Amino acid sequence: MASLRRRAVPYLLISPTVALIAAFLVYPIGSVAYYSLQNRNLTRPWADGFAGLENFRRMLFEDELFWQSLGFTAKWVVAEIGLQLLLGLALALIVNESFIGRGLARSLVFSPWAVSGVLTTGIWILLYTPGTGVLRFLGQPETAVLGNLDTVFPAVVVTELWRGVPFFAILLLAGLQGIPGELYEAAAVDGAGRVRRFRHVTLPHLRDAIVLATLLRSVWEFNNVDLLYTLTGGGPAQVTTTLPLYVAQRAIDSKDFGYGSALTMAGFVILLFFSLLYLRLSRFGEER
Amino acid sequence: MKRTTAWAATAVLAVAVAGCGSGSDPGSAESGKTTITFWDNNGGTRTPIYQELIKRFETANPTIHVEYVGIPIASVQQKYDTAVAGGDTPDVGGVTTSYLANLVGQQALEPADDWLGKSAVNGKLAAPMLDSVRDTVPDGKLYLVPGTSNLDVVWYLKDKLPEAPKTWDEFFTDAHELTKAPDQYGYTIRGGAGSIFQVLAEMYAYSGVTEFFDASGKSTVNDPKNVEYLTKLAGLYKKDTPEADVTNDFPKMVAAFGTGKIAMMHHNLGSYNDHVKAHGADKIGAFALPTGLSGKRTIVANPVDGFAVFKGSEHKDAAWKFVEFLVSKESNSYWNQQTGQIPANTEAQGDSWVTALPHLKTAVDALNDPNTAVVSPPYYLPQFSSITKADTEPLFQKVLLGQMKPQEFLDTMAQKLTDAQAEWKKATGG
Repeated sequence: MASLRRRAVPYLLISPTVALIAAFLVYPIGSVAYYSLQNRNLTRPWADGFAGLENFRRMLFEDELFWQSLGFTAKWVVAEIGLQLLLGLALALIVNESFIGRGLARSLVFSPWAVSGVLTTGIWILLYTPGTGVLRFLGQPETAVLGNLDTVFPAVVVTELWRGVPFFAILLLAGLQGIPGELYEAAAVDGAGRVRRFRHVTLPHLRDAIVLATLLRSVWEFNNVDLLYTLTGGGPAQVTTTLPLYVAQRAIDSKDFGYGSALTMAGFVILLFFSLLYLRLSRFGEER
Repeated sequence: MKRTTAWAATAVLAVAVAGCGSGSDPGSAESGKTTITFWDNNGGTRTPIYQELIKRFETANPTIHVEYVGIPIASVQQKYDTAVAGGDTPDVGGVTTSYLANLVGQQALEPADDWLGKSAVNGKLAAPMLDSVRDTVPDGKLYLVPGTSNLDVVWYLKDKLPEAPKTWDEFFTDAHELTKAPDQYGYTIRGGAGSIFQVLAEMYAYSGVTEFFDASGKSTVNDPKNVEYLTKLAGLYKKDTPEADVTNDFPKMVAAFGTGKIAMMHHNLGSYNDHVKAHGADKIGAFALPTGLSGKRTIVANPVDGFAVFKGSEHKDAAWKFVEFLVSKESNSYWNQQTGQIPANTEAQGDSWVTALPHLKTAVDALNDPNTAVVSPPYYLPQFSSITKADTEPLFQKVLLGQMKPQEFLDTMAQKLTDAQAEWKKATGG
């Protein structure tokens, strides 16, 4: 009896965790997987029922918008991550130098990160508003940046950069501060100039921070809904629709939850790949 | 000792988790008072009107407390769908015929026929509005008690346009002549959320086609005359209208009109107060959409807006009492006077303020003109709302941006409507 109780204790102790994981991860994922195999459309209740792989067939072979949104998602993630990394690194290097007012400069650099996504949109919509927005200073007061196919992509990228660069800057600054000063002194003594010190001391030490920040941010940018949804709603003509936004349009706006679930599964598989990559690389970092 | 701690921790967690489920008990907040929840389907500028009406209602019915929740019009359908799926619906909700079929399909609403039969407002609600509600659902019951109706009009600035155009040709001429570089525009197109209904209203007014489906069940949306109109309209974009129109939703459109840079804007009676606030009542004029090629006026019927009692309500009688109060002569008159729309209560329709407001007189005259034909969009199709919003709004933007031909756009929409109509007929055995 006593030994049974003893054996039960570990299970009892992990049971809350298991219950929470089951309730908040296993069940929702399972239910999306289930619905992806069903016809489930609130506007066509008479057609509900088992669909097999029909939703996936439609997604892969008939739905141009799926591929278009996937293509835009890739373009969006690459542009955002590339620019955020570059600008974030530059900012981190600047505020890592010692100069008068550095504390103030640091807080200013990081402040956009503290602004919520929807507020960010609010600010930028005002900036982009024709007539009263910032473009009147460029002599183009009547240009609708968010309604023009040529300008909408740069416009949304800049908006997200404004919010995303500080995140990189914070992480990279933390990495920079972890580099011992003696290394730079030693390198300087050996005759290394600024550029070589950066290449051979700074960059190798920042490697882990860069890899992790890049991967984490990629997942976040992939899943970005708040900013694009409120800024452009995925438009005009769906040219700024990411895969998660497209899921929202199909499942929530069109009430086609079966098809929306199939789209979600596609996003799930892609993100699973990123997660595995992240796990591998983060363990890789530990071993060294 | 350790084990006791673990047990205690588990117990605390269990209580916490269980606590999430039970929730608070609505309806018994104060001793003996019934609390009902009311969702306004267009919260915002209308909120103070309801606050006043609720105050009056609570004074007359001291045992009932009404909790007001203002839902933004853009997300109201989602909110209702989520509430129905989660079993957390309000007692009374503002509902329009454009999503009534959807809610009835999900068995979310209680029919009001029996209540209305015994009520003092019976026989005092406009018959066309009641018919329009009943035609929306397969079983012909009254799931929504009409409070107001609306009409599409073109608002214009009197100092720019001294005389309203009578025909579409005059309209296009005016739109062009009132446009002056760099930032004065004759017209504005709604290209964002809500665009399709306005396009439909303009196309049918122009073409004079009077049925949404022909005898064989095919949609008339891609009628050659409709295509002709859409081609003309798309031709205005960026020439006589602002570039920003492609993403124009209701708030953006009204704000742009409020700046005074735009001479004419198509919307409905509902935005009257916004224009008065921006320009003053004497500067604003309204004309009904011009008569079409046939010389007759064709109107696409606006959704009827009213109130529904939800099936999930635990206080249905109190809920009905509130609905009855809202459509009674005095409340209905007050509400519509504040919003500048057409009252559903026929006694309220006779009030002096209705005839005193020029835009409302324009609307009532257009509706009562024996020459006017009314086209009823298929609000009864559960797919109608997703076809005319999520499916085709982005395509209309493509038309404006020159990425899609008007013909192709209307063919696509017509096909979707024809299919949906056939499928619905089969499903309902009609």
